[in-house]
Amino acid sequence: MNATSEQRRSFSRRGFLGLTAAAAAAPLLAACGGGSASQGGGGGAGGTIKFWDMPWATPAYNDAAKGIAEGFSGANGAKASYQIIQWNNFYQTFSSAIASKTGPAVSTGGGFQAFQFEQQGQIAYADKVIDKLKANGQFDDFLPGVLDPFKSAKGYVAVPWQLDMRVFWYRKSLFDKANVALPTDWPSLLEAGKALKKVGAFGFTTGAGAGNNYANHSMIMMMVNNGGGVWNKDGELDLMNDRNVEAMEFVLELVSNGIIDPAAVSYTTDNMSAQWKDGKAGYGLFQVNVPQRVGDTSGDLMVADPITGPHGDKATIVFPNNIMMYTNTPSQDASEEFLVYYLGQLKQLWQKKLMSALPVFKSITEMPEFANDPNNVKIVKEWQPIAKTFAAQGSTLNANLAALDGGQALNQFSQTIITGKADAKTALQTFQSGLESVLKK
Amino acid sequence: MSSTTTQSGLARARRGVAPGGTGTVPGKRKSKLSAQATRTFFWLLLPSVVLLVLIHGYPLVYAAVQATHDGDLLQTGNFVGGQNFATVLTSPAFWKAAQFTLWFTIVGVFGSWLVGLGLALLLRTKIPGGGTFKVLLLLPWVVPIVVSSTAWNWLVATPDSLIPSLFRNLGMGTPLFLADPTLAAVTVMVFKVWVSFPFMMMMISAALASVDTTVYEAASMDGASRWQQFTQITLPLIARSTYISWILMTIFCVNDFPTIYLLTGGGPVNATTSLVVLAYRTVFQDFATGPGVAIAFLMTMTLVVISVILYRQIRKSSVE
Repeated sequence: MNATSEQRRSFSRRGFLGLTAAAAAAPLLAACGGGSASQGGGGGAGGTIKFWDMPWATPAYNDAAKGIAEGFSGANGAKASYQIIQWNNFYQTFSSAIASKTGPAVSTGGGFQAFQFEQQGQIAYADKVIDKLKANGQFDDFLPGVLDPFKSAKGYVAVPWQLDMRVFWYRKSLFDKANVALPTDWPSLLEAGKALKKVGAFGFTTGAGAGNNYANHSMIMMMVNNGGGVWNKDGELDLMNDRNVEAMEFVLELVSNGIIDPAAVSYTTDNMSAQWKDGKAGYGLFQVNVPQRVGDTSGDLMVADPITGPHGDKATIVFPNNIMMYTNTPSQDASEEFLVYYLGQLKQLWQKKLMSALPVFKSITEMPEFANDPNNVKIVKEWQPIAKTFAAQGSTLNANLAALDGGQALNQFSQTIITGKADAKTALQTFQSGLESVLKK
Repeated sequence: MSSTTTQSGLARARRGVAPGGTGTVPGKRKSKLSAQATRTFFWLLLPSVVLLVLIHGYPLVYAAVQATHDGDLLQTGNFVGGQNFATVLTSPAFWKAAQFTLWFTIVGVFGSWLVGLGLALLLRTKIPGGGTFKVLLLLPWVVPIVVSSTAWNWLVATPDSLIPSLFRNLGMGTPLFLADPTLAAVTVMVFKVWVSFPFMMMMISAALASVDTTVYEAASMDGASRWQQFTQITLPLIARSTYISWILMTIFCVNDFPTIYLLTGGGPVNATTSLVVLAYRTVFQDFATGPGVAIAFLMTMTLVVISVILYRQIRKSSVE
């Protein structure tokens, strides 16, 4: 080996070491400098309000929401930035960001997320926002009852901005073919299901496959529709009540009559949509805007009437999605100002027909872009007034509902029922035990 | 030729000794590292060690803290000692998931190995378009799992999907591949084999490529049949790579989340819930961080034990 090659070798060794050390140090240096600058950079005295939003609809929705957020200009020169957070592991995303003080100042998110973070002292109460909404007249524009579930003993935990409603849909041509009337109560639901089965369709369409919560929602809806629910009026776990047992016995009757698709236990939401599109689904619980979702806007898919339970109860379930504020903000005043501003701009989203949920403001439900769809009108007129939250028969939302919605206990329960693997009492007892083991005391 | 002579010939062949050769292995040369070289190696290794400690060590310690506390993703909570482990180990859901994980891993490892081995041997023979076949056979491994799971869902999910329709048309009823607990478990395992066999095929192909063809010629001359050549030359010579691929595939199977979660979500009624799916659901759906992390710890410990056993096999096969 000559001198030049020796030099080259020692140079590359040193160079390699230097480069490796630099690569090792870079993330450390970045980590040291990152945290404190994440809130309030730029944007004048009010700082920049970090607004995190979820992909609630198509990408066009997020583009429009970004435009609204970035159009904010606060009194003290406050600005807002917009960030989309994916649903996958969203709670972890929020948790780790909040723990490292790099989270948002204002966000949308999971339906019960605000209550989870409230428990941890991370939520800024929205009472002053409510006062401002009262002052500008928007408070009176809320649909009846939508704000109440957010009022805790300490104040408003969040402010609702859209309602994810569960309503019964039906395919008119299948009912015509089966020559059967639309269900108005449980016995007529059973009869309609039997008639639909004869024409090769299912009378209680649902799904409990990967990532699909519609079977969960259908089970809770049937309990609530019978005056039952997961909780009693005091918010205590109350699954074994007679109304729930009766409701689940009825669903099991639907299963044994072949009115629920035996493959539904594995259906994803896409599988369910395909069933609706292919004329296999005659009747079932789904969200708002089903024709657009399944790609059949022929007018054959329509919102059904609410049905009455055997004791005269009439109810469905709703998830009031909300916007929350966090204590980690460059300026609480600016956060509140931003939230009031954003709520005032929501109508744009429905004007552009970007939303697949109900608005919370009466004025938006009266806009022609919304009211021209008779299904929307029917949902607002007939379903919204009878809608109850997952907290039913209690009235206020709470952090425990997050462990209920999408939790293992409810998933297993729904799958057990729609496969008819256990009787109602056994399934409910297992559900109750499962929930007790995960609920915070 | 007698059986003893054949065995002896095969043993010589495995060592790569042609007929008439001595088979003397060159003596190993002992090398001593100079102090300067040791220092250089130390400094070269240091950045990696620092990075490893930061990337793996810190989360591991944090996970240990979570597994012994009753907190959530944001707050550590109170120290509960081994209570989370006790909760998990006395839970029927854990043992059901462990049982499924065991079957999933056994079928995943050996199923993909057998298919991979068969195809690797097939591709060793000179067939027209062999390279194209190799690329095509790699597709299940290359295609993102989200895409392949969606395709499989489309094939089997509803009674009117392609494969149930095929069964129906053949007069074999309408199997509900994802709705029946047993069929769902089988479907997930077959899917795993389908996704994983290209990896095995590549590992085995690489090992087979390093086997000198003269070894087979020597064995042939000693009168070994094709089966004897396969079992006593091919398999022993690729044993090292086989054990490595088994270790890797065992880790892939035990830790496999997307294959199961995207296809069945762990259902129906937990029939396809593996330990990693159970850990995920416990942490992110039930928000029970302590028990969820405890499950992950138990999985890690099991994997370490399995890896150590298989590594010993590798050492043993190297010595032989």
